[in-house]
Amino acid sequence: MERDLTLLIPEIIILLTVVFALVAEMLRLPRIALTVCIFGLLLATVQTLPMLGADTSVFGGTFRIDTLSVWAKLILLPATVLSLLLARAELAGTDREGTVYVLVCLVSLASVLLAGVGDTMVLVLGILLSGLGSFALVAYPRNDFATEAAMKFFVFASVTTSVMIFGLSYWFGGSGSTLLSELSRLESSPSVAVIGLMAVIIGLGYKASLVPFHFWAPDAYEGAPVSIAAYLSVVPKIGAILAFAQVVRDIPMITNWPLIIAVVAVLTMTYGYLAALVQRNVVRLLAYSSVAQAGYFLLGVVAVGASPLALQSLIVFSAAYAAMNLGAFAMVMLIGRTIETFKGVGREKPLLAVAMVIFLLSLVGIPPLAGFVGKFLLFGAAIEAGFLWLTVVAILNSVLSLAVYLRIMVPMYQQSSRNGELSTTESTPFITTVWIIALLFTIGIGVSAQLLLGNIN
Amino acid sequence: MNLIAVAILAPLSATLLIMLLRKQPAGLALLGAAIGLFGSLGLLANTFNGLSEEIILPGLPGMPLRLVATPLTALLSTLVAVVCTLVMVYAVGYMKNDKEKVRFFATLLLFAAAMQTLVLAGDWILLLSAWELIGLSSYLLIGFWYRKPGVKSAATRAFLVTRSADLGLYVAVFILIANAGSSDIATTLNTSGGPAIAAGILLLVAAMGKSAQTPLHDWLQRAMAGPTPVSALLHSATLVAAGAILLIRTAPMLPPETLLVIGIVGGVTTVVTGLIALGESDLKRMLAASTSSQYGLMLIAVGAGVPMAALLHLIAHAAIKSSLFLGAGVFQHSRDSTMLKQLQGVGRNHPKIFFGFALAALALAGIPPLSGFFSKDAIIAAALSSDHIVVLLPFALAGTLLTGGYMARALQILWQKNGTSQPVSGLAWMGAGLGGLVLLAVILGAAFPGLEALLEPVLNIRLTESNITQFIPEILGLSAALGGLLLGWFIPVKRLLGPLLPWTNRGFAIAGGFDNLMVRPALAIAHRCEKLERFLYESVLATGRLGLKLGQLVRRNDDQGIDGFIFSFVRGTINLGAKARTLQSGLIHKELAISTVASALLLVFMFITLLVY
Repeated sequence: MERDLTLLIPEIIILLTVVFALVAEMLRLPRIALTVCIFGLLLATVQTLPMLGADTSVFGGTFRIDTLSVWAKLILLPATVLSLLLARAELAGTDREGTVYVLVCLVSLASVLLAGVGDTMVLVLGILLSGLGSFALVAYPRNDFATEAAMKFFVFASVTTSVMIFGLSYWFGGSGSTLLSELSRLESSPSVAVIGLMAVIIGLGYKASLVPFHFWAPDAYEGAPVSIAAYLSVVPKIGAILAFAQVVRDIPMITNWPLIIAVVAVLTMTYGYLAALVQRNVVRLLAYSSVAQAGYFLLGVVAVGASPLALQSLIVFSAAYAAMNLGAFAMVMLIGRTIETFKGVGREKPLLAVAMVIFLLSLVGIPPLAGFVGKFLLFGAAIEAGFLWLTVVAILNSVLSLAVYLRIMVPMYQQSSRNGELSTTESTPFITTVWIIALLFTIGIGVSAQLLLGNIN
Repeated sequence: MNLIAVAILAPLSATLLIMLLRKQPAGLALLGAAIGLFGSLGLLANTFNGLSEEIILPGLPGMPLRLVATPLTALLSTLVAVVCTLVMVYAVGYMKNDKEKVRFFATLLLFAAAMQTLVLAGDWILLLSAWELIGLSSYLLIGFWYRKPGVKSAATRAFLVTRSADLGLYVAVFILIANAGSSDIATTLNTSGGPAIAAGILLLVAAMGKSAQTPLHDWLQRAMAGPTPVSALLHSATLVAAGAILLIRTAPMLPPETLLVIGIVGGVTTVVTGLIALGESDLKRMLAASTSSQYGLMLIAVGAGVPMAALLHLIAHAAIKSSLFLGAGVFQHSRDSTMLKQLQGVGRNHPKIFFGFALAALALAGIPPLSGFFSKDAIIAAALSSDHIVVLLPFALAGTLLTGGYMARALQILWQKNGTSQPVSGLAWMGAGLGGLVLLAVILGAAFPGLEALLEPVLNIRLTESNITQFIPEILGLSAALGGLLLGWFIPVKRLLGPLLPWTNRGFAIAGGFDNLMVRPALAIAHRCEKLERFLYESVLATGRLGLKLGQLVRRNDDQGIDGFIFSFVRGTINLGAKARTLQSGLIHKELAISTVASALLLVFMFITLLVY
């Protein structure tokens, strides 16, 4: 018990942080709540560092402390801190501002739980916890758009989660245990294993916004504050993807799960970029782009167990995706939500434009940026696992993605259509800090991937 | 301080300084050339003392870029530096009234630096780069007066002809490196057998382009459109020399089969271009044709297996031909033309210049004790000692005879009759440059034994074979040269009189016979040759046109075929995107229905795979 609790210190710190922040919010001290959250999350990150290289589990195998879950904490918690800074810049002074920070921390806790999931019940717990916090965050502006988006999000989540719980009961019935590690007992009853797998795909598919369970995402991102959209597109999504990797590890190969996931990956990448191609709203465009990027993540999930590169590629791409996506959303906060507002930014704010171009090129996967390294490793993992065709489809989609992101890049260097100054949001030090850190990581991960890889093993 | 670096970097940094400062181009150019000259002389002195220098720069993996100073490369470097410096002195006067001195001197120095790199290169990759650089800078120099009609096309022609022949060098280098596994020139010289024959022939092709050998000789004459110092530098000692230098350096590797081909190419060139020179009506173009002819003689020597003779003639020719060009430049300024008809009697207006010109001309013809005599002798001796004496000796003698012929004709026209000249500015500078070169042309012969001793271990071939009687080559060479001079001097007199009195009715039967037998056919052959080369150029042009047509065809195909395909593909993709958006109706029940149907399909797919596998 004592050992288990020691290993759970980061999670416990986050929980305590949430409690203290809630108290501060009740006292109407949002700045204190923010400070508590940031320090709590950073403390939890630091406490995770000694666990690098661990490969064990706690509470009878229900929660895993392994490469994936440790790195998930190291990536997701700092990403949460950056999201909090963005949220502060956008929402400072609004009513009950502190609840946002509390909810964000709670959702991060759920995401971290998902990344170390070792038991179907923890999976359900994580998805529910992460969902509940997310609905409230989307509905925070309390206008029609936000409320409708949150409502839609909620309905979608309820349906998919209940289907998932229903499907998971088959696994319990077949294996006699809720532990993922006991799934190998289903070797002899493949149809039971398949129904459970479908349930997981539906439940985690909604959380990671995979096609065809992504419908809530663009509306929710558009209705929510931009900073919340940035957060939702990064932290809960990565948590769900890593949960996917944890679950499929133990599913018997007889179900052919890699092929099924490969099909979902193709659907997700292709549909995401095709839909992004016709968006006029940059937030929606980035929403669809993050749908498509989830498809790339699946290349790593497909290779889990078959290629030693799989876990490394998932981790590196998680870090890269967090940096570049947060950076791109920060730029949207500074410049505006429609493509029209991006016109002429290259002349008026050359620094911002260059940073945005770097984030977008990284999202495409152009060397030597972080996105390239991540995708390169993902492709390598998929090829090693025997999914050459999937890699080819992914590369073709990268070409398509260039067209998508060029729709933002090109207007930036066109003649501005508006008269007078750029009506950007006041460039607060918080947003500046975030995009500079994101930029450093986007370039740094790309340049020093070798270093990172050495540490993951 | 590394002397190799000095030899190359001095002219190069002078180029940069001139381009940056845009002031005092002439002074900076002289300074750069002079410092480079000191570097080269230092290298030569060091190699005399048995020291060799090498710089290794990082290049391709396993193939570093090398610069080496062996006796051969140091000697060539010195030759280039000396001619460069003297031509630069001359150019100060020649370009006195030109407005674009900055561009002129900068390009000239760039060329000099590239040429130094070429001769000092110790590996094929660097040599290839330098080869390309001299091609480029010569293009810029020939086209210097690009506003004049015809100049641009002359520059382009020179560039294209040498460029297409350069392909030979590329393939040859590829063969050599692939075969030896190293890009070091010294290592690749151990190549033998089939690769050596193939590489040798391909190197010959490259050399034929740069050294203007038949049938690729026409570009050189057209390149006379450039300023005269450019002609003196490029077309005597450097650009055209690159071809011969290439063959001299690779001579130890060349197998006998290739040597014979080289000898025949040289022989044909020396006769054909000699005849062209004889029939030429423009002084500079005559000198250009003569250059091709002299390089033909050098190729004969290489073909005879005595690259040393070729090298000696290369050195002598460099000094002689630059002197001739520089003299021609003065005459050009004096009469504003290079046509022989306009230049009649110009020698009387500039007796000192003419004296230098004449000395150089006699040296070229091979009159003792001028330098050309010794080098021509060496070539004739080489031809005599060769296994293919029957083929090479007649060519060598014919070349010598023709040299005498056209040089005498030129001297005669320049000296006889009177014409009016205009004053020439910058004569002092031009005279100084010319004087230095003529001096070299006269006395260089004395240095030859020393050079032979220096280079013998490098080229590893003895100049004179013991089985040849000492005086045979001298007698043969001298008689051919004198015969040529006499013919050249007297026949044109007859021809000038010809229009006044039909030659058949005159009593000079022998002379007329000579005229009839030799000059007319020679001119006819010269005209034929010109036609042939016209034809060749027409074919080159036709090939070019065909290429353009093909290109247009391909482009049209692109526009309609591939581009069309891409456009329709893009349109299709965008339409698909629009469809994807309509799926996103915003109505939650519809979306959930889609999700359900899709999951049902996925489930069916799962069960199918379950059954299949």
